[in-house]
Amino acid sequence: MKQISQFILLTVIALFTVACDKDEPTVDTAYPVIDATAAGTFPVQCSTVKRGEKFTFRAAFSDNMALGSYSLDIHHNFDHHTHSTEVSDCSTDPVKKPVNPFLLIKSFDIPENQRAYTATQEIEVPADIDPGDYHFMIRLTDKEGWQTLRGISIKIQ
Amino acid sequence: MFALPAKLVGQTLSGKVVSSTGQPLTGATITVMPEKITRPSGVNGTFRFEAVKKGRHSLRISFVGFKTVASSFIMSSDSLLLKDIILRAEEGQLQEITIKEDYQQLRRQQVSLSMDIVGADYLRRNLGGSLMQSLEKLSGIKTIGIGSGGSKPLIRGLGFNQVVVVENGIRHEGQQWGADHALEIDQFAAGRVEVIKGPSAFLYGSEAIGGAIDIKPAALPAAHTAGGSADLTAKSNNGLYGGSVNLYARKQRVFADSRMTWQEYGDYGVPADTIFVYDYAVPLHENRLRNTTGQERNVHLRTGWLTSQFQSVFYLSQTFSQSGFFANAHGLEPRRVDLDLHDRSSRDRQLPSQQVSHTKIISQNEFRYGQNRFDLELGYQRNFRQEHSRYVNHGYMPPVYPSEQSAPQTLEREYDKTVFSANIKNELVYKNHTLTIGASGEQQHNTIGGWGFLIPAFTQTSAGAFVFDKLKVSEKLLLQAALRYDLGRISIREYKDWFTSQSENGNSTYLTRAEAITRTFKNVNWSAGLNYTPGAFFLKFNAGSGFRMPIAKELAANGVNYHYFRYEKGDPSLSAEKSYQLDLGTGINAEKFTVALTPFLNYFPSYIYLNPTARHDYFYGAGNQVFNYAQSRVLRYGSELQLSYRFLNNWNASLAGEYLYTRQLSGAKRGYALPFSPPASALAGMTYEPNWERLLTDAYFTLDCRLTARQNRIVPPERPTPAYQIFSFSAGGKVKTGAQYISVSLQVQNALNTRYLSHTSFYRLIGLPEAGRNVILAVKIPFFIKGKSTS
Repeated sequence: MKQISQFILLTVIALFTVACDKDEPTVDTAYPVIDATAAGTFPVQCSTVKRGEKFTFRAAFSDNMALGSYSLDIHHNFDHHTHSTEVSDCSTDPVKKPVNPFLLIKSFDIPENQRAYTATQEIEVPADIDPGDYHFMIRLTDKEGWQTLRGISIKIQ
Repeated sequence: MFALPAKLVGQTLSGKVVSSTGQPLTGATITVMPEKITRPSGVNGTFRFEAVKKGRHSLRISFVGFKTVASSFIMSSDSLLLKDIILRAEEGQLQEITIKEDYQQLRRQQVSLSMDIVGADYLRRNLGGSLMQSLEKLSGIKTIGIGSGGSKPLIRGLGFNQVVVVENGIRHEGQQWGADHALEIDQFAAGRVEVIKGPSAFLYGSEAIGGAIDIKPAALPAAHTAGGSADLTAKSNNGLYGGSVNLYARKQRVFADSRMTWQEYGDYGVPADTIFVYDYAVPLHENRLRNTTGQERNVHLRTGWLTSQFQSVFYLSQTFSQSGFFANAHGLEPRRVDLDLHDRSSRDRQLPSQQVSHTKIISQNEFRYGQNRFDLELGYQRNFRQEHSRYVNHGYMPPVYPSEQSAPQTLEREYDKTVFSANIKNELVYKNHTLTIGASGEQQHNTIGGWGFLIPAFTQTSAGAFVFDKLKVSEKLLLQAALRYDLGRISIREYKDWFTSQSENGNSTYLTRAEAITRTFKNVNWSAGLNYTPGAFFLKFNAGSGFRMPIAKELAANGVNYHYFRYEKGDPSLSAEKSYQLDLGTGINAEKFTVALTPFLNYFPSYIYLNPTARHDYFYGAGNQVFNYAQSRVLRYGSELQLSYRFLNNWNASLAGEYLYTRQLSGAKRGYALPFSPPASALAGMTYEPNWERLLTDAYFTLDCRLTARQNRIVPPERPTPAYQIFSFSAGGKVKTGAQYISVSLQVQNALNTRYLSHTSFYRLIGLPEAGRNVILAVKIPFFIKGKSTS
């Protein structure tokens, strides 16, 4: 019995030695942030933009270490296939079939080692596209590859 | 003049071990006293001891799930053939955590890696939604779960293509590439499951880097019997009901055995009425996850020819399942749901959903000559999977699905895999060596379909040859060493998009999503170990290597996984994934007390890892984040600790703990853990086994608590998972009705309906809680048409 208790003691010590991580260099485990409430942010949930006109995308990004890159994606949601990532929902038009929906996919670099960055892009909405419900997707990464998504419902008139 | 070697002095003792129904028991442990020589029973339950001294001996026979039998005999100058030794089934005697029985002890003494063995009765007691979930109480074993009906094995944090699953001697080849695809295995058809934790490339070849799960069929029927059994199951959480019916018959040499399994379940419930997909609140109807319903239908046939020297068994099986995916998010993509349609019934399957059928034809042949054995296994399997989803024009896909496309509009992906395999093996016993030499080969053919693209079509040919020697230095010390050579070739077919994408200058082109590539991989693997068992104390040591050929998507993918918002880019220059591991096992197996500690240290010089980068790609990636397949050096170590203590005759306390540490030592994610690293956890249990012989034979009552630590060691795109504790209760026993015993087992999983997240769940990324309280009832009713019945 004495041997057994010694053995238990040894194994417990062994397990604890293994289980303690000492002096671990910290790795970044924080997602970058797309600030929805920053002044001048556009578009926001339920914003409206007009065909044949330009609008300026503006969003405030931040990260605890360094930002990576971002991409924008505008695609139709005429079939209501997805919803936004936002708390509130917007009123939607009836479901319809796309004929010539607007599609914009663009990716952009962010200058290196930025902890905060305000992105602005001028976006031109062609005049001949289908009006209706669209999604405006913002994808933001940081240097380590953490990605934050924001899917906003907008309307093109 | 002819001085015989000492080991031949004495006579031969032989006999046969059968169950009370007359079924021969392969793998029973026979110990001759007072010499304490132990041998397992072979095919047809037969055993043989050479060089037994004259005089009075006693014999002790034990086997998993059977009551141990002791008898005595007197050895005269002649060889002695004993009468058949009959073992009575004793299912309830098994311990919940440490499955302490002699067969397992003996097998473990012969394998220098850490391993666990469970029987069909253990699976029934711990019945989960799938075979892997039923094994989750074993230490070091976790699952990558999806919903209530499917999961993949995770052995010490390694899964997917790093674990080999073998069924009836043939490697099971499903669709190993995704987290959301379960194993196509019928858990009712499993007779015994062996879980090997550690690199077992020397036995199973490529991919057995993390370990192997070897599923053995049920015991063969006894001569001149006919009968069967019915398993009935019901679960409260997802409203599952189903069953499995087995019928068998055997003459002297010919037998036939069949099984049919059918089960159906509804959406499963979670302890939450609202969940959040990002910030968007998704209300759950009656706390159920929409569209996680499914069904399963399996058929198995087995027939063969058995003699004491030659055995040939032919298997034919088909598993078929249909199940839905959670409707409010496909992968990480939020989906709008037609509530009227989805909430009408919790049992109707809508989109997205999957459908899988897996067919297997196996011929297993065994030939014995002298003390040697020759095995030949031939297998054919076909895995056919379809994933159905509403067409959504992701990226540059046309807004309306073109009618001229050949694939149906709801067919997102289709995979059709055909595999031919062959294994040959010869086991030779020479003095105190047991030498096994063998070879195996496999040919895989994979085609794809549907409008979505994830992996290209490919063909893969692989072959390996090995030599494995066990040297029994003494009854206490066993040494083993193995060497294996593998050769594999993968040929990937080119894949081009069926739609055009727009480049920056406005040109439209059909993008090439996979280049035609052919790669050849060669690898030498080895393993060496020792088992030292001087008495109650045991010590095991093993060093070995493992490898894995890169799979098609790791080499050639260049497509977007839209449901995860990622653009996955393969690397055609990847080398094979290689691993070296040291395993130690030590402990004490005493009558009332057992302890086992199994630490391991593992190093990968070239771990293949899907690395999320900071970049987005607007052209090939349709605006998604770029994920590159890359290789890094990886260190892993950890341990399992199992304790069991029997007290006051009827009580048993047990504790099983596990810990794993992983770290990438190089590459872009240096310092990070590996994805899906299970957090430290412990399972503490208390079992009461009263002696209610009349009322309920082999009764047991178990209360256990799973304590899981938080997991903060994460890597993109994971999230830290908080700690949790869940309680479970199980009880059961056998009720005698007429001549047979009906086994009944009841479980209450997650008894307090605790809301928690599992770090290794497929649904963790969108924060879906795990299943709530689940009451599971499993009943097994055996019946006999001809032959002796259980008594």
